[in-house]
Amino acid sequence: MKTTGLLFLLLYCTRVYSQEQSFIKIPGGTYEIGLKGSVENPLRRVTVNAFSIAATELTNAEFERFVLATGYQTEAERFKDALVFEPGLEEFRWLDDSTAYWRYPNGIARGGITRKMNHPVTGISFTDALAYCKWAEVRLPTLEEWEIAARAGSPTKYFKGVTAENISRYANIWLGHDHLQADSTDGFMYTAPVASFKPNPLGLYDVFGNVFEFCSGSLPRDKGRRVAHARGGSWWCSKHACNFFNAVDIGSVNPHASFSNLGFRIVKDAGGM
Amino acid sequence: MKRSILFLLFYSGLCVAQAQDAVYQQPPKEAMAYREFRQKTTIPPYGLENVKKQIAAIKDKPGESGDEGISALPDAVYQSLSPREKFTYTMIHPEMYAQNCDINMIHPNEHKEIFGYLVSEGDEETWSQRQLDFLRGNRDSVMAWIRESANRSRRMGVNYKNALVEMDAWEMIPYIIDFYTANKKDKDLLTVLMLLMKRGKFTPFVQSSSYKKLYGMEGNHERALDYNKANENLIITRAQTYYKKRKHS
Repeated sequence: MKTTGLLFLLLYCTRVYSQEQSFIKIPGGTYEIGLKGSVENPLRRVTVNAFSIAATELTNAEFERFVLATGYQTEAERFKDALVFEPGLEEFRWLDDSTAYWRYPNGIARGGITRKMNHPVTGISFTDALAYCKWAEVRLPTLEEWEIAARAGSPTKYFKGVTAENISRYANIWLGHDHLQADSTDGFMYTAPVASFKPNPLGLYDVFGNVFEFCSGSLPRDKGRRVAHARGGSWWCSKHACNFFNAVDIGSVNPHASFSNLGFRIVKDAGGM
Repeated sequence: MKRSILFLLFYSGLCVAQAQDAVYQQPPKEAMAYREFRQKTTIPPYGLENVKKQIAAIKDKPGESGDEGISALPDAVYQSLSPREKFTYTMIHPEMYAQNCDINMIHPNEHKEIFGYLVSEGDEETWSQRQLDFLRGNRDSVMAWIRESANRSRRMGVNYKNALVEMDAWEMIPYIIDFYTANKKDKDLLTVLMLLMKRGKFTPFVQSSSYKKLYGMEGNHERALDYNKANENLIITRAQTYYKKRKHS
């Protein structure tokens, strides 16, 4: 994308954001995404229609409204197979906890969300996220849309201003060397209230860290299987382990899996912009 | 915030576009092929037909779609399997969800490196606690089956290598070294040796510069050592020393 186009995008999005607090409008057009040398997300141009993306990840309060309105039961409630975390687990290890679901994302023994209604909803599966979207008449961002909004015109894997050294100002991530000891050096061991960290230039909060965000779309590595993808890293991610809290890497998970570091951000079609 | 200030901020940002990722190059074919080799699993032959039949009979918990939901064998069926069948089941059917964060960023010199960790093996699934308990609780038998199976196929899939690490199979060190030196193709066997020394907190290894690079404060799951004779020898010699020390302790 040419510099003038980038400038237009940034100014345009900022203007719209100032008028509407919860959604950021992204104009339709051709954008450069991916990274040279990346096998799964190579450098390329994509054309998208205009869309509006939520400034923050969907919160527990918003998900509760859906549950109260519909009586929806999440997959973790039905199948009792949510994966939870507690300090002391080795890298990439999670505990199967039958008591865990979105109201108790790390299991009943580790506390509920009563005082965390402004935190991103977790303990839900990709399938649950789709159910919410259907009810709310919104949708998940595509892999491409998420990246366009997250990068805000940056040619690198971080949005402007972020480096590997200062990312903790912008992202709720795990700063400890491993997960054997609890790490709350940024104020939060698990999720943080949405918008607790600095936003990207378009006004999107928690693009990196806090929770991995479900997106729609598929990758060649899926080999035709139905796989859910999530982007942006989470509170669990550390530079020593899952070092993928950036705008290029793409995670994969079973569409029915519920983890306490997986959530989502919603999108509306802008229509006619 | 006034628009003029934003304009200046954004404009200055555009003028100093970072080029930190320009170092990435398209990986050569050898690197791509080696990654594929690293990701291959081994299918054990023990009771394979029956195990496949039992897996096929599992009703997916998510039910309606039968679309890759987790699908563990019911406990009664699992308990009815022989130990060898349980081994085969574990190796081909991890029964717990996993997050696969790895975007498969292949190193340009992947085929010339010794990695600190093995690649993730099984799509979006991993071993459940009962499967890990089985491996650890039957480690002598599992080690024997892995050896027997690897001798037959002359390769050791990433699932076998992961099992060796999970079981802390230090007794297999001489075998792993012999298996590796037969053709030196699978450098992840050197990774297994290092992971076993790491697991055993073997002091000479923990204090080494290799350990600091791979597993220390600046280490991460993508780090690797250059593959060269000196590094190869060092890993093998250290592993042999660790084995002897542990055997006689």
